Amino acid sequence: MKIVAPIRQLDEIAPLARAGAHELYCGVTPREWAERFRGASANRRPGGNLPSLAALAEAVELAHRSGVQLSLVLNAQHYSTAQIEFALEIARNYADMGGDAVIASELGLIMALAEALPGLRIHVSSVATCRNADGARLYRELGARRLILPRDITLDEAAEIAAEVPDLEVEAFVLNDGCVYEEGTCNTLHLPGALGGPICLDRYAYQHRHRDGRALSPALAARVHENDEAYRRWLWYRFSCGFSTTDTGMPFGPCGLCAIPAFGQGGLHALKIAGREGPPERKLASVRMVRQILDAHERGQSPAAVAALARDLRPSHAHCATGFMCYYPEVVGMAQDIGPQPAAPPAAPAAAG
Amino acid sequence: MSTPVSFLRRPPAPEASPLAAEPAALPATGVTLAVSMVRPRALERLCADAHGRDAFWRETLHDRSLAAWLAPLRPTLLYVGSEFCERLLPEPAQLARTLTDAADAGLSVGLLTPVASPETLRALDPLCALLPPGAAVVVNDWGVARRLRERHPLLQPVAGRILCRMLKDPRLGNPQYAPPVNHGLDSPWLRRMLDRLGIARVEMDLPLFASADSFAAVPLPLGVHLPFAFVAKGRMCRTAGLAREGAERFAPRPFCHHECLAIAAHTERAREGAADAWETVHIGNTIFCRHAQASLAALAAAVACGQVARLIVPGEAF
Repeated sequence: MKIVAPIRQLDEIAPLARAGAHELYCGVTPREWAERFRGASANRRPGGNLPSLAALAEAVELAHRSGVQLSLVLNAQHYSTAQIEFALEIARNYADMGGDAVIASELGLIMALAEALPGLRIHVSSVATCRNADGARLYRELGARRLILPRDITLDEAAEIAAEVPDLEVEAFVLNDGCVYEEGTCNTLHLPGALGGPICLDRYAYQHRHRDGRALSPALAARVHENDEAYRRWLWYRFSCGFSTTDTGMPFGPCGLCAIPAFGQGGLHALKIAGREGPPERKLASVRMVRQILDAHERGQSPAAVAALARDLRPSHAHCATGFMCYYPEVVGMAQDIGPQPAAPPAAPAAAG
Repeated sequence: MSTPVSFLRRPPAPEASPLAAEPAALPATGVTLAVSMVRPRALERLCADAHGRDAFWRETLHDRSLAAWLAPLRPTLLYVGSEFCERLLPEPAQLARTLTDAADAGLSVGLLTPVASPETLRALDPLCALLPPGAAVVVNDWGVARRLRERHPLLQPVAGRILCRMLKDPRLGNPQYAPPVNHGLDSPWLRRMLDRLGIARVEMDLPLFASADSFAAVPLPLGVHLPFAFVAKGRMCRTAGLAREGAERFAPRPFCHHECLAIAAHTERAREGAADAWETVHIGNTIFCRHAQASLAALAAAVACGQVARLIVPGEAF
């Protein structure tokens, strides 16, 4: 399986490649786009983008020199017709630079890319919210080569899609940055933090009631209150334990490291590290973590041993036991069979130079 | 990209809204009315007379003016199922009963379908098999649309509002904000895909800042949802946590006792200086916002000039 990691600036490329990433991805919002569309990002993230096509060309060249591929993200939830035409121009330039793949989510843009640039690989973004084989087949028919699954999917579902559409590579989230709502069905902006941030983290007060207008009984109100408290705990885990890291800079969650053996068994092709807007140190630590666990899996260690190794990385036994930090909590019990393992060996350097 | 504070200011109220005081009667433009319900009820009241419908809509929508506007329109279509949750699809036996009840009330039946997991996709096949040829199936997942085309070609797929992506952040208050707040239904590429999948109707939520342009460029017969737009939908369901414990309490694997059919939450931002422009409600895995009178007025104008083929209104209280 390949490790796919994000970048937001050129000096992240070589270190991430050396740490073991096989593929990188980035966004670009040229000044002309920002001017013409009044600040709208050319992709899902308002920040974390390269500033120009010149920077993108340099990134492609640097990535290839470092032995890794670089994909370009054009995955806004929706584009107007004018924006699709502009995005096509960006993609044409990118293809001329020798770019490797465009990550797109909007069906209109995917069709336009397939028609205009048939030689350029299309990876269907998680923002497309495609989580069944019929959808995967449709994208394959349009020319897509890879499907990036949305965050909220089970391991069984991922394996089923991979098995049913074998000529489409499947990529799944493995670390960082959990949305609460499905990205493709969230029609909001990530506002600046002072104005509320993402809607799932904004400070909403909830007043529960029966839908026919009646107040909740005391017993039901107590149960709802307990559920709200549990939800707030889950939310803290969903956003990397309150956006924290370990003393050595390792991120917490959401995390799917224990699921790597299941991904291997399920025929998945790539593991996605999210967090394009995050600091370089977090990206580097993330790649090293995934590389270490993937290496253990590829050396033939059992799933339970791999899971135990994953828990010892940070270490994070108490957090892991809750399941709230997991992308795939169905594997939460796996590491408990064999207990803590000896300290893990250092991460292997990337093979490609 | 920074977002100026002014984006969060509440938009000014319209000087005169056709729905604000005494409503104008719905014009005879051929617009039809669909009522959506997870668990169909009170079909006889909906289909009896305008007086009964007025009472039904007042109880359900809590908006006297809107109720009076809708009341003259006898519904012709009953949507069952859910656009938002895999757990809210009917069982085949429930759908069979609904087909009978709806026929008795003189209603056609359409099926609402959500973003689908593999299991949900399989569950749809026996439901589609029960529907008569030509029945509408609202698809909110391109995979569902493809499957319908392949396995149930006699049914009529309708592109649902989840596929009609547009900015609907209830925290914004300024229509000048740049990201495309409008739909992309006029895209020639999307149009080709709709043709390829046999989709001949589309549906959308009312845009937050609806205007005459909001409905003009849609190339297919258009259905518009009111008075609630969906803002964001998760697969994770906060409300389902009431039925669950342990590591998978908020995990994707769906399990619940349909608590969302009984419980909802009015939500309000507890942030100083933030006065949201739209009222928000959280039901199950979805945030909804209630349209402002100005948007409903724009919709009324679009209905009056024949740009809207169908209105879609929830028949269950939010």
